[in-house]
Amino acid sequence: MRVGIPRGLLFYRFFILWKTFLEELGVEVVASPPSNKAIIQHGLIYGVEEICFPVKVFLGHTYALLGKVDALFIPRIVSFHKREYNCPKILGLPDLVRNIFKVDNVIDDEVNMRDRGIRGWWEGFLQIGRRFTSNERKIAQALHKAEKAHQAYREKLREGYLPENLIDGRPPLSPREKKVVLLGHTYLLSDSYINMNIVRKIHDLGYSVITPDMVPETQTRKALQKLPKASFWTISNEIVGTAFTFLEEQDSKVRGFVHLVSFECGPDSLVGEVVERYIKRSNRSFPYLRLEIDEHTGEAGLVTRLEAFVDMMEWRNAHHAGYIPTSFAP
Amino acid sequence: MRATFPHLLHLDIALGILYPTLGIEIVPPPPITQKTIEIGVKLAPQNACFPLKVTLGNFIEAIEKGADTIFMVGGVGPCRFGYYGQMQRLIIEDLGYKVRFVLLDHPRYGIRPFLDALRTMAGGRISLPRIIKAVRLSWGVLRFTEELEAQRRALRCQVENPQNLDQVIDQTLEALRSVASLEELEALKKRAAEEIASLPRNGRKDFLRVGIVGEVYIAQETRVNFNVERLLGDLGVYVHNSVSTVEYILHTLRPITRSKEKIEAWKLAKPYLKRFVGGEGIDSVGSAIRYAREGFDGVVHLYPFTCMPEIVAKGVLQAVSRDFDLPILHLAIDEHSGEAGLVTRVEAFVDVLERRRWERKRRLEHDGAFPWR
Repeated sequence: MRVGIPRGLLFYRFFILWKTFLEELGVEVVASPPSNKAIIQHGLIYGVEEICFPVKVFLGHTYALLGKVDALFIPRIVSFHKREYNCPKILGLPDLVRNIFKVDNVIDDEVNMRDRGIRGWWEGFLQIGRRFTSNERKIAQALHKAEKAHQAYREKLREGYLPENLIDGRPPLSPREKKVVLLGHTYLLSDSYINMNIVRKIHDLGYSVITPDMVPETQTRKALQKLPKASFWTISNEIVGTAFTFLEEQDSKVRGFVHLVSFECGPDSLVGEVVERYIKRSNRSFPYLRLEIDEHTGEAGLVTRLEAFVDMMEWRNAHHAGYIPTSFAP
Repeated sequence: MRATFPHLLHLDIALGILYPTLGIEIVPPPPITQKTIEIGVKLAPQNACFPLKVTLGNFIEAIEKGADTIFMVGGVGPCRFGYYGQMQRLIIEDLGYKVRFVLLDHPRYGIRPFLDALRTMAGGRISLPRIIKAVRLSWGVLRFTEELEAQRRALRCQVENPQNLDQVIDQTLEALRSVASLEELEALKKRAAEEIASLPRNGRKDFLRVGIVGEVYIAQETRVNFNVERLLGDLGVYVHNSVSTVEYILHTLRPITRSKEKIEAWKLAKPYLKRFVGGEGIDSVGSAIRYAREGFDGVVHLYPFTCMPEIVAKGVLQAVSRDFDLPILHLAIDEHSGEAGLVTRVEAFVDVLERRRWERKRRLEHDGAFPWR
């Protein structure tokens, strides 16, 4: 049996886990090719007009797999952290795919750690596994192996590799001394076609990036306690936690924050504002740039803004202007 | 303490009865106008959903009127509504207003803050019977305002002169503000029913029927959604709204208090949307299917632009529309929505429904195949 995994949304977080798990159960795994123009176009055609760009990209990748595989692997990852959710669009993703492409062979079992923690995780994968084998022992072993591979993958990410280095085998970029915290969802930061190779661009301007994946979870969770109530979206919490970590650390190598969001992103529209306001409140005034991308974003505009931002960071550093209090005129 | 709260259609009437009884002075925000929206849009995050902006505008206007405490509720997600309070508190703090933000959040975010907020909202130490009495009365009032609105929607196409209907209902709503006991409420109910029944009818029976589904704020708040219900009513359409605040509150206290309609809607939505996706996503899908089964001619889907659950619902509703042969008009509302464009779309939609009915009458194929094909 061939199972297709569309390259989008949670793919960059869980691909290694899913792949190992499915292959241990004797399933052939096919991932859709890296994003290209045709894939994006199909996503735009099939997607609901107002849905966010990453979901459109996901639908494009799904389209690229249609007819080539026996089943689509789109598990409903309701939550992968206790007491938290994923974005509603991820919750409804299998239903969107089923209704938009009129396909039935979707593996859409629910993985929900919100209320029941690790039990929800196990039961979700048990259900997925039961589609291929009735041997629960085998499923447990496969999941164990998959989790190990996943941990190794996350460890690598923490060391500074990007998902594209690990999944597609692209050579990693050389580290630079000056650093920029690149905030954003993994599915935007890791797909170098839709983010117009932003990591590379920042690297060429003389900075290396720190993404939320590179910060240990214990640290982000600790930093999050600064908020009276953290949000209920896991990935957004990681973004806020990363930002807060570097706000507190006062690392002189970290020169600024770039927040990459997709237009229409619900969680980031609120969480981005929280980050921005806390950066303004902190006594070291970090430069902060919010880049919104969607299918209409032009590369030239992005480059111009990045260059201007880098100039600002350089200027502030040269003039020791990092501690200028920023006024709060709304 | 001079407390304020966000507007939601006639919620201010109900709360205006509840709070004075509990000994809390309230400053209701001024009615939602273009100015409210402008204030909200200026201060709120650019891509936040529209209800956040409007309610923020409410708060600012109420603070300028003299409020020093804000009552707001939180949530557990995944819809953005649960984070409104935190966001608005941050914005108001940064603006430098000295106000107290009382946020009633889910007990899972701490039982102490929950109880503290509840105690503040209930006016400190007050006897339980008194609270129960006040809550019962304001709950009855809230229910009655919704019944009145439901009658307004249903009867607008059936009475001789819609202005008279508006007059009766608006007068009753005004009178509701000064209700002091359940008996008075009953009397008012009876009087309103008589007055409405005595309005001259135009005798039409063949009106089109349209259902409204969507997000709880935008689908109800007529001052924000350009009064789509009234527009439809003036075009001679019977309107039913599946969204209501009473339902919303009951649903939040689930699962025991959910109404029969809601449970049915959830069941019907299952083949299309397998689980709750936050907000009213699954209710929109289920209610649209219910309308299709009950023989409604069309459905209007109202939601704020970028609303996450409703966008999922929209993707799924396209399949519902296809399967049940039910025309659905999706209207995304935000600060950039123009009235003229919206009116044109609604009028065109009603034309489509009329044409479909006409074709059905003439026993033509109505699933898109025209006679000349």
